[in-house]
Amino acid sequence: MELDVNGTRHEVTVEPRRALADVLREDLGLTGTHLGCEHGVCGTCTVLLDGEPVRSCLVLAVQATGHEVRTVEGLADDDPLPGVFAEHHALQCGFCTPGFLMLLRGALDEDPTVVDDDDRLDALLASNLCRCTGYEGIRNAARAAGTRPD
Amino acid sequence: MRGDDRLTRGRGRYTADLRVDGCLEAAFVRSPVPHADLLGVDTTTARTLPGVAAILTADDLTDVGDVPTMFGTDDSPPWRPLATDRVRHEGEAVAVVIADDRYRAEDAAAAVRLDLHRRPGHAAPGRADRLYPDHDDLALEKEFGPPVADTTWQEAHVVIDSRYRQQLLAPTSLEARAILVEPGSPLTVHCSHQFPHGLRTGIAGALGLAEDDVRVIVPDAGGAFGSKSPTYPEYLAVVAAARDLGRPVRWVEDRTEALTASSRGRGQDQHVRIAADVDGRILAIDLQVDADIGAHPLGAALPGQTALAASEAYAVPEVHATVRSWFTTTAPTYAYRGAGRPEAAYAVERAVDELAAELGLDPAELRRRNLVRDFPYDTPTGRRYDSGDYAACLDRCLELLEPDRWRGERERPTGVGIACYVERSGGEPGILEEYGSVTVEPAGFTGRVGTSSTGQPHRTVFAQLVADRLGVPADVVDLVEGDTGEVPEGHGTFASRSTQMGGAALAGAADALIDEARLQAAARWGLSSGDVAWDKGVLRAGTRELPVAELAPLHAEHRFTSPPAFPYGSYGVVVEVDPDLGAVTLLRLVAVDDYGTVLDHTATHGQTLGSIAQGLGQVLTEGVVLDDEGATVMPDGLLDYLLPTAAEMPRDLRVDETAVPAPDNPLGVKGAGEAGCIGVPPAVVNAVADAIRPLGGDPSRLRMPLTPSVVWEAMQP
Repeated sequence: MELDVNGTRHEVTVEPRRALADVLREDLGLTGTHLGCEHGVCGTCTVLLDGEPVRSCLVLAVQATGHEVRTVEGLADDDPLPGVFAEHHALQCGFCTPGFLMLLRGALDEDPTVVDDDDRLDALLASNLCRCTGYEGIRNAARAAGTRPD
Repeated sequence: MRGDDRLTRGRGRYTADLRVDGCLEAAFVRSPVPHADLLGVDTTTARTLPGVAAILTADDLTDVGDVPTMFGTDDSPPWRPLATDRVRHEGEAVAVVIADDRYRAEDAAAAVRLDLHRRPGHAAPGRADRLYPDHDDLALEKEFGPPVADTTWQEAHVVIDSRYRQQLLAPTSLEARAILVEPGSPLTVHCSHQFPHGLRTGIAGALGLAEDDVRVIVPDAGGAFGSKSPTYPEYLAVVAAARDLGRPVRWVEDRTEALTASSRGRGQDQHVRIAADVDGRILAIDLQVDADIGAHPLGAALPGQTALAASEAYAVPEVHATVRSWFTTTAPTYAYRGAGRPEAAYAVERAVDELAAELGLDPAELRRRNLVRDFPYDTPTGRRYDSGDYAACLDRCLELLEPDRWRGERERPTGVGIACYVERSGGEPGILEEYGSVTVEPAGFTGRVGTSSTGQPHRTVFAQLVADRLGVPADVVDLVEGDTGEVPEGHGTFASRSTQMGGAALAGAADALIDEARLQAAARWGLSSGDVAWDKGVLRAGTRELPVAELAPLHAEHRFTSPPAFPYGSYGVVVEVDPDLGAVTLLRLVAVDDYGTVLDHTATHGQTLGSIAQGLGQVLTEGVVLDDEGATVMPDGLLDYLLPTAAEMPRDLRVDETAVPAPDNPLGVKGAGEAGCIGVPPAVVNAVADAIRPLGGDPSRLRMPLTPSVVWEAMQP
């Protein structure tokens, strides 16, 4: 099958049962997408499918054919998110970070004002789990990213 | 922080990200029941499945030694890497399948048939039907401090007698356990681990290898929180498989395994009694802990930490604690962030609050009357508190909390709660030492230290520390840790010890390097070292000068030892309770901690917030659900075991520090990693108790986690 990841077309042969996350990580070597729970709760494996954040542990690779997949490795060089995460100490171990980055990239692309309202921001960030930071840095980073054009 | 540029661009290298040619995948066959005789393991069908390279059972591991316990007993029953004739907890590993792909490994694991004869299980601490034929179910019993005199109880104005439960918690680092083993000489083990030198010792001991024949490397690690310091049975099985097959093998734990088979924290039934006089002076504390330690004594002695902390922040003449550690048919109970200190703070601070209510005294005033004020202070159960100003810390907490602001008519039941704590950082005898070295390289300096980051910014903080000591810019200092091939010895990262012990070791090594450089420069110039000055990496004497790089290779080591330190803090919480649903909302949370001298406020603030979130998890949402026999009842994984999300974090969060330097530490540093886990749970429950008491509710029915149904039931008059 063909898979379009970060603007590059890949030819892969996979079993129908294989999760998109495993194909990204094991077959394409894109290990920036992490697996935290493999049952769709923690959001660590979040990638964008046609711009929409999805859990790549719950998407079969075959379902992604014909769609554009974007992973953390595909964030633009001038995307402000990585920088503001570092600036606001929004990561400690960094394992959940790619998932939060892709969640926010998808949400900001859809509606940049989502980070301006505390309730909407918390509802968005509650999609994913972080065990290290207590979320304050992630909240602050998200707000900062919203105020900077990408 | 250093490395953030990699981690935010998907360029981290966690154990599961490593690419090693020909690496095979391991999947474990685990017991589906808490307790059974293991009559047979049938691998016939599984071995025929595609991709399977090997299936190992206990019979294949007879030359592998027992699993080492970390805080075991003097007489621990043998613990085999794979179960032999009995399984003693759900998820206990029975066999390991090695295959060319994880999907195929799991297929084959599912095809292995176990012949099990069920035995009754028991999840609660207490005597049952002998989990081990030659060992009592009481794995350990220990007493701390002299018993409280009968007359003290009889003559007291009031005695509080309360029972609490510390539920089992799943540490739940988002990266679960992961190991990749490359056979050869040395055997190379990549593992997400807090204590690489301990893992090296554990593997070498079990495999009959010299320590030099094993190299443990910790790549990026995705959190640990106490759970990643043992040599787990699975690790020994994977090492044996790699050795036997002569191929690299990796095991990447999944979340189901992490929630059912891996170690858990807390797990105590507590009985606490407090005697006080009419003025609220505490005369005695008696704490009895019955701990469910699981089926293997990995952390059997850890509840002793709770007993040692039984005085908390108070100068109490009589304090006595007993610990009984019971085998249960559950996964091992082990260290989880706080490891014994949150349990003590909860028992004492809940009971002290009950005492205040009984006496009709303001909880802060009652605490103030009893705080330790003179240091060093020897507690009856065996601690020597080094320093502090506990009253100042409490006062600052109250300033930020503004308790009076929340009194009076309010729309919903509102409560204010506080809790004080004293904890121990640095570790216990045996790990109260650390190795550090500093080497001059042509391009700069390299610090090496025996700690091991699992997400803490050691590379930033320690490099800055060495740079400051040497008077050079931080960007010429590299920091190496987490590799036994690079760092000769070390005690790892736990017990809030890294900066206190490792930082002090690095500071000592930097000082030693300066001394050595001055000596060598003096010898070169025919002077005495007293004539040579160190000036930001340059040796100077009169008009002579020599950049230290010209003395390369130059290397200095320091082994730092010291008594533990005693961080402390005061926490305050304001809650609102939904009168119809019992849901608890935090209106304000105040944390004032004393970590001694703080080297990096951003890093410390991050530790405080993270531990507050985990404390909120214990008190509000988290708890391993087991049936009476010890089987896990969490079919939907992290939808049943609820970690706090951003939505659970209070928006009005006020974090502050006092800073009384640790007298036994050359940097003045105390540990800072575990505070929030200790202070938050009792403060929140005390606040909810305060909210429901005027409604006729019964605070003694509050138990963690404070789910809406627990609070609603406790609210009913």
